[in-house]
Amino acid sequence: MSELTVETRDVEDVTLLYPKGFINAHTVRLFEGELQKSLEQKRFKIVVNCAGLAYIASAGLGAIMGAIEEIRTNGGDLRLANLNETVLNIFEILGFNHLYRIFPSEVEAIMSFRQETGAAS
Amino acid sequence: MSRPRRSHGVGKPDLVLSIPSDNAFLSLVRDLTKKLAQGAGFDDTTAGRVALAVDEATTNVIEHAYHGAKDREVLIRFSDRGADFRIDVVDTGDTVDPRSVPRFNLEQYVSERRTGGLGMHLMGKIMDSVTFRRSGGRNVCGLVKHKRERDSEEH
Repeated sequence: MSELTVETRDVEDVTLLYPKGFINAHTVRLFEGELQKSLEQKRFKIVVNCAGLAYIASAGLGAIMGAIEEIRTNGGDLRLANLNETVLNIFEILGFNHLYRIFPSEVEAIMSFRQETGAAS
Repeated sequence: MSRPRRSHGVGKPDLVLSIPSDNAFLSLVRDLTKKLAQGAGFDDTTAGRVALAVDEATTNVIEHAYHGAKDREVLIRFSDRGADFRIDVVDTGDTVDPRSVPRFNLEQYVSERRTGGLGMHLMGKIMDSVTFRRSGGRNVCGLVKHKRERDSEEH
């Protein structure tokens, strides 16, 4: 089994990333690459669905942090959904749950972008 | 993996894993650490956190002591000493002064997009003790997790 795969899917203006496996110093380049593809395509509304993510090490958190400024500067955001207890705990230990919006489900994360679009119009 | 040798304290013999300094082996390190931590009595969540701390310590050795060279050796010694579960991550690379690693500060991390010190901070949050020493020409990062009656009360 591969250590990490990252599938992507677009739902209108929201790009969904599905990391499956784990993100550490060995696998982070793949995750970073997929994130970067979204930015190159000017898609700045991103949801990372972590349902298949077993764990994330500091390398993965650094990759998210490395992209967030460009994402937010361009009016977008990176939001997370379906974190397992291990991954959520890492975010909480570091206080990253205050930096990123975390949702129980992918649908709720997508809808959060919709609600903002609706409020702005 | 080398033959087990007796630890200094009361408990099971030490187990020593030797890997090349290639982060392709991190998953092996993680899987073994988690299994041994579970065997030492930690619940799945705590065992997973301990495995993450060892992943971070090994990553630090590969990146900072060996500067990414993949042909060096990293030794990881596991000791189940009754009240403590201890892991030593040992290398023969450059000595990194832990005081030179910037202290993790969430606000600075955001405002300056700093990424340094995150792994070290995580290790400190997960483990009860993280120490660095030089011994016999080797760098030793010692990670200790105390066993407790109720792991759920931990971090």
